[in-house]
Formats: sequence, C-alpha cells, structure tokens
Amino acid sequence: MRTLVKPLMRFGRAFNGPQTLGNSPLFWICWLAAVIALIVFPLFGSRYHVLTASNFLISTILAMSLCLIWGYCGILSLGQAAFYCIGGYAYGIVAMNLIDSQGNTDLAIVAGVVVPAAFAALIGALMFYSRLKGVYVAILMLVTSLLLGLFMRQTADPSYTIGGAYLGGMNGLAPAKASDPSLPSIILGFGNTIFEFDGRGRSFYWLVLGAAVAIYLGLRWIVNSSFGYVLVAVREDPERTETFGYDVRLVQLAVFCLSAAIAGFAGTLYTAWGTYIHPDGFSVGANILVVIWVAVGGRKDLSAVIVSTVALNWISIELATWGEISMLMLGMILVCAMLIAPDGVFTGLGSAIGRATRRRAPAAAPTPEPAPAPASAMMPRRSQ
Amino acid sequence: MDIAGQIASYTYQYFDNLGFLLLSGIGLIVIYGVMGVINMAHGELMMIGAYIAVSTFYAGVPAPLAVGLGGVGSGLVGMIIEQLVIRHFYNQLLSSLVVTWGISLIISQGTLLLLGPSIMNMPTPLGSISVGSFAFGVYRLVMFATALGLIAATWALFRWTKLGAQAQATMEDPVMASALGIDTRRVYTLTFGLGSALGGIAGGMFAMTATISPFFGQNYTPMAFITVVVGGGASPIVGLTYAGMYLAGVQTISSNLVNEYIGYVSVIAAAFIALLVMPSGISDFFEQRRIRRMSR
Repeated sequence: MRTLVKPLMRFGRAFNGPQTLGNSPLFWICWLAAVIALIVFPLFGSRYHVLTASNFLISTILAMSLCLIWGYCGILSLGQAAFYCIGGYAYGIVAMNLIDSQGNTDLAIVAGVVVPAAFAALIGALMFYSRLKGVYVAILMLVTSLLLGLFMRQTADPSYTIGGAYLGGMNGLAPAKASDPSLPSIILGFGNTIFEFDGRGRSFYWLVLGAAVAIYLGLRWIVNSSFGYVLVAVREDPERTETFGYDVRLVQLAVFCLSAAIAGFAGTLYTAWGTYIHPDGFSVGANILVVIWVAVGGRKDLSAVIVSTVALNWISIELATWGEISMLMLGMILVCAMLIAPDGVFTGLGSAIGRATRRRAPAAAPTPEPAPAPASAMMPRRSQ
Repeated sequence: MDIAGQIASYTYQYFDNLGFLLLSGIGLIVIYGVMGVINMAHGELMMIGAYIAVSTFYAGVPAPLAVGLGGVGSGLVGMIIEQLVIRHFYNQLLSSLVVTWGISLIISQGTLLLLGPSIMNMPTPLGSISVGSFAFGVYRLVMFATALGLIAATWALFRWTKLGAQAQATMEDPVMASALGIDTRRVYTLTFGLGSALGGIAGGMFAMTATISPFFGQNYTPMAFITVVVGGGASPIVGLTYAGMYLAGVQTISSNLVNEYIGYVSVIAAAFIALLVMPSGISDFFEQRRIRRMSR
C-alpha cells in the first residue's frame, strides 16, 4: 500500500504549494468527490441543466485565465473577454471554411487558441516593453476590446466575408452563401476516426469538463513551479525581481499570452457550444462579468475563482426570473465583497476552513521543522 | 469645392473633437492626478449630470443653469461614493479600478430599472453659421469654449486657493502632506467631488447634442480614458491639454480621410505610439525632463 501511495504523493506534490489554497489530502478528497459528482451529473440532470452546466464550465475556464494574470502576476486586464471573443471568431471563421474539406475542426480549435495568443503577444509586447503602469494596461485592454466590438458591429455589410464566413455585424457570424456550411460544433478527428461533440449534448459537457479539469491542474502545476514563484515575485515587487536577474517584461508577456490562449480556448468552446458568436462579447458587460467572477471569489486562488464563477453564474440565472436585476445585483455583490472581503469571499472561507482543520490536529504534526536529517536526503520541501 | 470652406470645416471639426475630449476627460484627469485613481464610474456620473440637466431644463430652468445643476448633482453623488466606498481603496490602484467599475454597473443598471430604457433628449440650442457651402452649429463652439473655461477655472482653483495648494502638496507626497497637518482625506473627498462635478457638467453639455439613456456615458468614456492615459497624472491640466490636442488632430484627419471607425482606431494607435515614447503620459514626461534640467 505504502509503495503505491508514495509515488502518488510525490506526483501530487507538484500541484501543491504556497501559491494555492487546498493542499491537504482532505482537500483533494473533496476535490475528487466534486469532479466525480460533475462527471455523473448528466446522467441525472435534465437536458437544460446539462446545457447550462456546460456554459458554466466554459466560464470557469475564462475566469481561470484572468485569475492567472491578475491574481498571480498582478496584471489586471479589464478586457479579458476580448481574447475570449477573438478565439470564438477565429474558431468560427476557420471551422466554417475548413469543415467541408477537412471533415473535422482540429485546425479551427488551434486557430481559436493561437490567434488570441498572437494578438496578446503583439499588444502585450507594446505594453510591457514600454513598461506601462498597471492601471494603463487595464484601461487600454478595455478600450481595445470596446473598439474591436465597435468594428465587429459595423460588419453587417456583405463585403465582410472571409471565405465562407460572413461576419454579419450585430447578427453574428453566419455562412456567406446559403450553400456554405453553417458553424459546426466541435468535431475532433484523429486520422480517420472522428469524435463529434454536439454542443447541446452530454458528450460536449464531458469534453468541457475534461478541458476545465486539465486546465485547472495545469495552472496549479504552473503556479507552484519555479515559474509560478517568479510570477508572484513580479506581482509583489517588479523592481526587486528585476534586480534578481529576471526579465520582468518577458515574464509578463509570456503569462499574458498564456492567459490569452486559455481565454481563446474558452471562447472556442463557447462558439462551439452555441454554434454562435456575436459582437456583444466585446462589450463592457461581458468584460465586467469576468472581473466580477474573479474579484468576488478571490483573485489569488484558482479554486476560489472556480467556485465563485459557478456560484455567481447560478445566482444570475436565478435572478433572471425576477426581471432585469441580475447585473445590478452582481454589481452590488462585487462592491460589497470588495469592501468586506478584499481578498475574496471564497479565499477567506477557504483559509478559515484550513485554519480550523489544522487546529484540530496540532499534536500530530509538530509545527517547528524537525531539525535533523541530512538536507540532501530530503525532498525539496515547501513551506506550508 | 471652396478651399475656405474646407479649411473652416477641418478647423471646426478639430475644435469640436478637442472640445469633446477635453470635456469628457477633465473630471477624470483631476481625480487621477490627485488620487491616482481612474474612476471607471465617470461615464455614469456624466449620465447623472445629463439626466438632471434635461429634467430641470424641461421643468423650466434656463439651459446654462440646468447644466450647472447637473454638475452639482453629480458632484454630490461623487462625494457620497468617495465617502462610502473609495476611501477604503486608497493606495490600491487596481482594486479601486475594479470597485469603481462595480459602482458604474450599479448606477447604470439602477437607472435602467428606475427610468426604463426610454431615451430623452434636449434640443441643440443656438442654430448655426455658414462658411461657404458648409454650415456649422454654434453650440459646438460653445462647448469648446466651456471646456476651455472649465480648464481655466480648475487651473485657477489649483493655483490660487488654499484647497488647491493642499491638493498639490498631497499629489507631491501624501504622507508628508498629512504630517504637515493637511487633512488628505478631506482633500481626496473634495477632489473626487470636483472631478465628478466636472463630469456632470460635461454630461449636461453633451445632453444637448445626443439622446441620453442609462448607458449614455459609455459613448464618451473610452475616448476619455485614452486621453487621460496619454495625458498622465503629473500635471493634469497640461497633460489633458496636450493629449487632447494630439488625439483630436489624429482623429480629425483620419476620420475625414477614411471613415469614423478608422478615426477611432487611429486614435488608439496614436495613443500606443505616444506611450511608447512617453510610457507614463505626456505630463510625466515633461515633469521628468524638468526635474532632470533642474538637477543639472
């Protein structure tokens, strides 16, 4: 038994560290239970519930992308939805052009990730290499997103077609001619094998769930790796990080591109989910939602952000039955949360739970470091 | 095509664009300069000013006074916001950005619930004059003059009043200023009120050229943000004026040569170029050059 657990623990240690809450076995057991519950959920939930849950999961991916740059690296982007939408449009345009000749949407998914990352590389290089203040970066990203939205709104003219895709202004992406294929959902092809995921079905839900779990684990690994430590160092004090020999601008640019790629992937999934994308995604409302999810949950922790994204999405759907008050309530939740719990509601809750469980068993684990034991024999140990 | 008319047209459009940028940016840059906070709810404060101006105008108050009342109303709302929320976020620039954005959401959505999506408008006063084959609205010129007047008034306030001196000291070094007995919290509250009032006046002025709705402010804030970012916070008035002149020039030329959308895009492109040369804005750039020259 021990021989089996030990390598597993060593593997698991890569996902644990001071950069994330929830490093105890208890947390991981709860996490596994939650993932299993999510996996079996479509077997019990109705079609509508599965459809909505897919959208929630897509939102968590988008929220994680903002959490990565804002919470861990201190770069606030008020225009994160721009990357989401760019990814969505890129996926849609490529998919509509290639679906007939290729039979799958593999390249379209790649485009949905690479195009926003490339855009982020361009605009990020301009911003970070001229060492703009953080406030300026935040504002410029918002303005960029609004301008892209403005551009997409005025593409109703029939001349705005890219191959078989017509940008369509406020009506959203559509086929250029009646003979052109409509926007497909995700179709993965490996050689001759084809896996089709219908955006309204269970298989799509499981695909999104798998992607979300993979991205969550991947990001936990990144933020607890040495690159993650550099990210936090840049957040805490860029000048000092620079004097230690790190190129702060390069670190910022790299994490910005990574974040844009993740957001673009979320946008890809969103377009495939509804087989629809339109310019409202670039608007103020779309951008502020992402910031609300991240700020309310606790920007410095991935798990807290995921919980708050799902909770807030659920709240806004519930509120929608009461009329047009959901945005108003979300604004109030944001302001109240920032006043009462500046580090986020779920981060506060999480650390309170952590303190409570740790206090119960203080004798089992003596708090001071067990001094002896040759240092070389020990695993690289990370502080609590 | 008459050349005189063309020149007059370009000049008129330039001053029109400049007037818009200056009016929508002045309240924002005063707050940014003194407090370092970019107030994301600025557009909503403009919207409040516009609603007050229009409703008092239809209640029989003369237009200039109605605009002034709009300014007073927005200023009061701004001071309340500062007291309730913003003062908990001094020295946390990114958080203050997010929290003011939340406030803007509350105000705009709240107005939508209270007043509905219906739009209101106010007639554009003062008719037009014609040069050659072009006709120009006089009101746009009044707007530009108002912008200049507000800038001059703000400058005078900072230059000659006790509050202005205190605000300048706070800008220079808040800790030192409060050690010298300046109530920096009061300075911040009054500055935020002043910035909001300037936004309200701008909103009231814009109400006579456009229809107003709960999301009225969002039409002006992107350009105002760019102007403030390019202007920088070291010396708000100087920064605003130079940034406005630069961006209005770019906008006028490119929107005339191509179309209005390209006009907007080239403004943000021009902003990026300016920021490559002067990363923290025009006025910071001049300020640093001045300091370097003095230390030599």
